Amino acid sequence: MELQLQYFLLLAAFLFCIGIYGLITSRNAIRVLMSIELMLNAVNLNLMAFSNYLDPENIKGQVFTVFVITVAAAEAAVGLAIVLAIYRNRDTVDMEQFNLLKW
Amino acid sequence: MDVVTLASQLNAGTIIPEGIVTLTLLVVLVGDLIAGRKSASWLPYVAIVGLLGAIAALFVQWNGTSDTIAFLGAFNGDALSIVFRGIVVLSTIITVLVSISYVRQSGTSLSEFLSILLAATIGGMFLCGASELVTVFIALETLSIASYLMTGYTKGDVRSNEAALKYLLIGAASSAVFLYGASLLYGLAGGETQLDRIGIALSQIETPAIAPVVALVFVICGIAFKLSAAPFHQWTPDVYEGSPTPVVAFLSVGSKAAGFAFAVRMLVTAFGSLTEQWHFIFAALAVLSMILGNAVALAQTSMKRLLAYSSIAQAGFVLIGLIAGTESGYASVIFYLFAYLFMNLGGFACVILFSLRTGTDRISDYAGLYQKDPLLTLTLSICLLSLGGIPPFVGFFGKIYLFWAGWQAELYGLVLLGLITSVISIYYYIRVVKMMVVKEPHEMSETVKNYPEVSWNLPGMRPLQVGIVLALVATSLVGILANPPIDLAKASVQRSPILQASISPAKEVAVSRFAPVQSSEFRVQN
Amino acid sequence: MLTPLLVIPLIGAIAIVLYPDAKKSWVVATVFCLLSFGWSLYLLSQFDLSFGGLQFVEFHQWVEPLGLNYSFGVDGLSLPLLVLNSLLSAIAIHTNRKDLERSRFHDSLILLVNAGIAGALIAQNLLLFVIFYELELIPFYLMIAIWGGKNRGYASTKFLLYTAVSGLLVIAGFLGTTFLSGSPSFEIADLQVQNLDSVPKLLLLTALLLGFGIKTPLVPLHTWMPDTYVEASPATAILLGGILAKLGTYGLLRFGLQLFPDTWELIAPVLAVVGTVSVIYGAMNAIAQQDIKRMVAYSSIGHMGYILVAAAAGTELSVQGAIAQMLAHGMILALLFFLVGVVEKTTGTRDRSVLNGLMNPIRGLPLTSGLLILAGMASAGIPGLVGFTAEFVVFQGSFATFPIPTLICIISSGLTAVYFVILINRTCFGKLDNASAYYDRLEVNDRWPALVLTAIVLFLGIQPNWLLRWMEPTTTSLAIELHRPAIARVAAIDTIHQP
Repeated sequence: MELQLQYFLLLAAFLFCIGIYGLITSRNAIRVLMSIELMLNAVNLNLMAFSNYLDPENIKGQVFTVFVITVAAAEAAVGLAIVLAIYRNRDTVDMEQFNLLKW
Repeated sequence: MDVVTLASQLNAGTIIPEGIVTLTLLVVLVGDLIAGRKSASWLPYVAIVGLLGAIAALFVQWNGTSDTIAFLGAFNGDALSIVFRGIVVLSTIITVLVSISYVRQSGTSLSEFLSILLAATIGGMFLCGASELVTVFIALETLSIASYLMTGYTKGDVRSNEAALKYLLIGAASSAVFLYGASLLYGLAGGETQLDRIGIALSQIETPAIAPVVALVFVICGIAFKLSAAPFHQWTPDVYEGSPTPVVAFLSVGSKAAGFAFAVRMLVTAFGSLTEQWHFIFAALAVLSMILGNAVALAQTSMKRLLAYSSIAQAGFVLIGLIAGTESGYASVIFYLFAYLFMNLGGFACVILFSLRTGTDRISDYAGLYQKDPLLTLTLSICLLSLGGIPPFVGFFGKIYLFWAGWQAELYGLVLLGLITSVISIYYYIRVVKMMVVKEPHEMSETVKNYPEVSWNLPGMRPLQVGIVLALVATSLVGILANPPIDLAKASVQRSPILQASISPAKEVAVSRFAPVQSSEFRVQN
Repeated sequence: MLTPLLVIPLIGAIAIVLYPDAKKSWVVATVFCLLSFGWSLYLLSQFDLSFGGLQFVEFHQWVEPLGLNYSFGVDGLSLPLLVLNSLLSAIAIHTNRKDLERSRFHDSLILLVNAGIAGALIAQNLLLFVIFYELELIPFYLMIAIWGGKNRGYASTKFLLYTAVSGLLVIAGFLGTTFLSGSPSFEIADLQVQNLDSVPKLLLLTALLLGFGIKTPLVPLHTWMPDTYVEASPATAILLGGILAKLGTYGLLRFGLQLFPDTWELIAPVLAVVGTVSVIYGAMNAIAQQDIKRMVAYSSIGHMGYILVAAAAGTELSVQGAIAQMLAHGMILALLFFLVGVVEKTTGTRDRSVLNGLMNPIRGLPLTSGLLILAGMASAGIPGLVGFTAEFVVFQGSFATFPIPTLICIISSGLTAVYFVILINRTCFGKLDNASAYYDRLEVNDRWPALVLTAIVLFLGIQPNWLLRWMEPTTTSLAIELHRPAIARVAAIDTIHQP
C-alpha cells in the first residue's frame, strides 16, 4: 500500500496540536520551548511531505526545512540563554513565578 | 561564472542598502574587537553614518532602475519596499541616537547593542522586500531573534529577563503558526514558494475551498503578532514595560513598519484571490485593536505601558488604510507610519530622557515637570498630542488621511469607530500632558522635586538631544508641510506593480471621481 | 489680506515665550492683540458693503491629495466676529491680571486661541476649518485646568470630552458631505451638496447640528457649559463664552444653513422649538442660581437660544439678527464675566446671598456695580443698549416665520430682566456689612477693559447701523439661498397659471 499525502499532513497536524497544547499548559519554560520545537517539526513534516509529493524536482520544501531547522536551533539557543539568565536571577524557570509584569 | 555576472544575473544591486548596513554591522563588530572599550565613543557614529549611507542608496534606487526583482524572485526592491526600508532605517537611526546614553548608564556594552540593533534592521529591511516564503521566514526570524536579544539586553534586570522570555515564547509560537500556514501554502500552490506564483495558484482553486482560508488565518497570526494587533497583542505591554526603552522605541516603529510592509506584500500578492476574507479578518483585528488598545490605555499608570496600548490602538488605525485597499489607502498607511515614526520615537526619546534623569516611568512621577525641564515637557506634550490626532501636528494629518481613504472606500463603520476611539485616546494622552503642565508647584512629585540640573554635556546626551529636537521639529512641521511626504507615499504606491494589480478597477473609478485635477479645473472656471 | 490675522497672534505667542521678562509679558501680548485688532478694523474699512459674497479671498494649494487647501475668505458673517475675537482677546489679557501665575504661558495661550478662532472664521475649506476648530481644544483645556477654580480638574475634563465629541461629529459630517456628494475637494466652493439625497442630507445635517450644538451650547447638550464657565478664570470665561461659543453658531449658519438650505428649512421648526426651550431653560435656571457667575453662565444658554430661533427662521432680517445677537451677546457676556470676576476677586465670594451693598460709594465697588447694572440692562434688552438692537432684529425677523416660539422668546426676555434685577438688587444694593467689608480699591487694570466694553455696548446701542450694516448683503444672499426652493415653487405655480 502506498502512503498517501494525507497521512503525513494528518500526522503533522496532530503534532502541531500537541505542540500548541504543550505551549498552553506547560509551567516549565523549558517545556514551553520544547513544545515550540514540536510545532516547528510539524511544519517540517508538512514541508517534506509536500516537497516529496508535489515538488519532487525542485525540492524547495526540503530546502525550506533546512532553513527552519537552522533557525529553530538559533531560536532555541537564544531561548535557553534567556532562560539561563532568568534562572540566575530568580532561581526558577516556573512560568507562574514570572509575574513581575502583569499580563 | 565569475562574481560579476552572477551578481548581475541575481540583480544583486537591489540589496545594496542591506549590504551597506551589513558592512556597518561588521565594522562595528571588528572596531569593537580592535579598539576595545574606547570604541564606545565613536562606534554609534559609525553606525549612523552607515545607516545614512543606506538611506542614500535607497534614494539612488528610488530614482534608479525599473528592474526590481532580484535573486530569482526572492526579493522585490520595488518602490513600496524602498519606502518601507527607508522608514525602518530612519527609525534605527533615531533609536541609535537615543540609546547611547541609556546603554551607557545601564553598564552594558554599547557595541554589542549596536550590532544586534543593526542585525534587526537588516532583518526588517529584508522583510520589507521579501517575496518568497523562505526569504520571508529568514528575514522575519532575523528581525525577531535580534529583537528577543535586545529585549533581554540588560541581563541583570529581572524585568528585562522576564520580558524577553515572554516575547521569545510568544514570538516563537506565532512564527511557528505562521510557518505552518506557509507550509500549507507551499502545498496548496503545488510546490511554489514565490508569493506571486502562490497567488496565481490560489486563484485557480475554483470551489470555495477551506484550505486556503486556513492557511490565511495561520499566516495572519504571524503578521498580527508583528503588528501587535489585538488579540495578538498580549506580549506588547509586558515587553514594552520590561525591556530597555530604546529597544521598545525600535520595536514600536521599525519592527512594526517592517511588519506592515510584510503584511501588504504577503496579503496582496499571495492572497489576492482571498481579498474579501482577509479584509474581513483585518477589519475584525482593527476593531478589536482600536477598542481594546484605547480602552485599556485609560487605566495605565506606567508611561511605557500607556505607550504600549497606544501602539496597539495605532496599529488598529493603520489597518483601516490597509483594508481600504485603494491607492490612497496604501499611501495613507505609508504616510501614517512615516508620521508615527517621528511622534512615537519622540515620545520614547522623552521617556528615555526622563528615566535617565529620574529612574522611573510612572505617569504620576511626571507631575509638574514643566518647571524643571521645559524642552522635555514641550516635546513629550507635542508628541503625545500628535499621537492623539490634534492639529496642527503631523498625527492629525496622518489620521485624517487614513480616515479619508477609509471613508472613500466606504468603510463607514470602521472610520466612525476610529473617530470615536481617537476621542478616547485624546483623553489618556492629555492626562499625561496635564500631569506635566498643569500641576501646581506644591503638587510636584518627589521625583521631579529631586530632578537633576538639566545638562546636555554628559557623554551620550548630545545625540539624545539631537534625537529629541529632530522628533519635535518633524512632529510639528511635517504635518504643515505634508504635501511632499504624501506625494512620495502615493508615488511609491503608483510605482509598485503588485499594488497596482491589486487595486481593483471598480475602485479605480470611484477614486478618479475625487481626483484633484477636477478640483483645479473647477476652480479655474470659478 | 487675511493671513496677518493668523500670523500676528502666532508670532505674538512665540514672542511672549521668548521675551525675557515674564512679568511684562502682557505688554507683548497687548501689542500683538492690538495689532491684530487694528488689522481687523482695517479689513472692516476695506470691506465692500455692497457685495454679499466672499471678500479678500486667498487661495493656495496645500495638501493636494487630501483636498486641503489654504483657502481663506470673509463675508459679512465672519468679519464682525473677527473684530470681536481680537477685541475680546485684548480684554482677556487684561482681565484679573494681578498675581497671575505663569503669565507668559497664559498670554501665549490666549494668542494661540485668538489665531485658532480667527483661522476657523476665515477658513473656506472644510478640513481647514476642522484644523482650526480642533486647535482651540488644547489651549482652552490648559487654560481651564491651570487657572481655573476649585473644581477645575473636573470641569476641564468635561470640557475636553464634550468638545472632542463635537469635533468628531463635525469631522464625520464633513467627510460625509464631501464624499457622499462626490465633491472634488473639501473646498466649500467645490461642494456639490445638491447631489445628495434628502436622507443622507438629513443625517449629515444632524451630525453637524449636534457637533456645533455642543459648542454653542444648545439645551440637551449644554451640561458641560455651566461647570466650565464657572470654574474657568474670568479671562478664560470671557473667551469661552464671548467668542468660542460663537464658533458653534457660526458653524450652524455657515455649514448648516448655507450648505443644506432645503434640509434646514425642513427641520427649522424643530430647531425653533429647541431654541425656545433653551431660552426658557436658561432663564429659569439663571433665576434659581445662588452663584452669580453661574447665573451669568445660564443666561448665556438663553441668549444662544435666540440665535438658534433666528437662524431657524432663516429670513433675511432674522439671520441678520442672529449675527447681531452673536456680537452683542459676545460683548455683553464678556463684560458680565469681567465684572463678576472683579467682584469675586475683591469680595472673595460669588454667592448672591452673601454679597450686599456693593454700590456703597466709599467702601464698596461703585464703578463696578454701576457697570454691572448697565451690563444687566444690556443683557435684558433695554433699549439704547446693544442687546436691544440685536434682540429686536431677531424677534422682528423671526416673528413672521415662527410666531409662537418668537412670542415665547419675547416673554422669556422679560425673565432675563427678572434675574438681572435679582442679581443687581442682591449684590449692588442693600447695606454693606460694616464689620468685614473693607474692600481694596480697584486698580486701573480692573477698570478700563470694562469701560471700553461698556462704551462699545452703548455706542452700538445708540448707533445700531454700525452693528448691522456689515452683514446685510451676506444675509440677503443667505436668505435667498434658503428660500430658493420656495421661490422656485411659486414661480412654477405662476407658470402653470399663465397659459
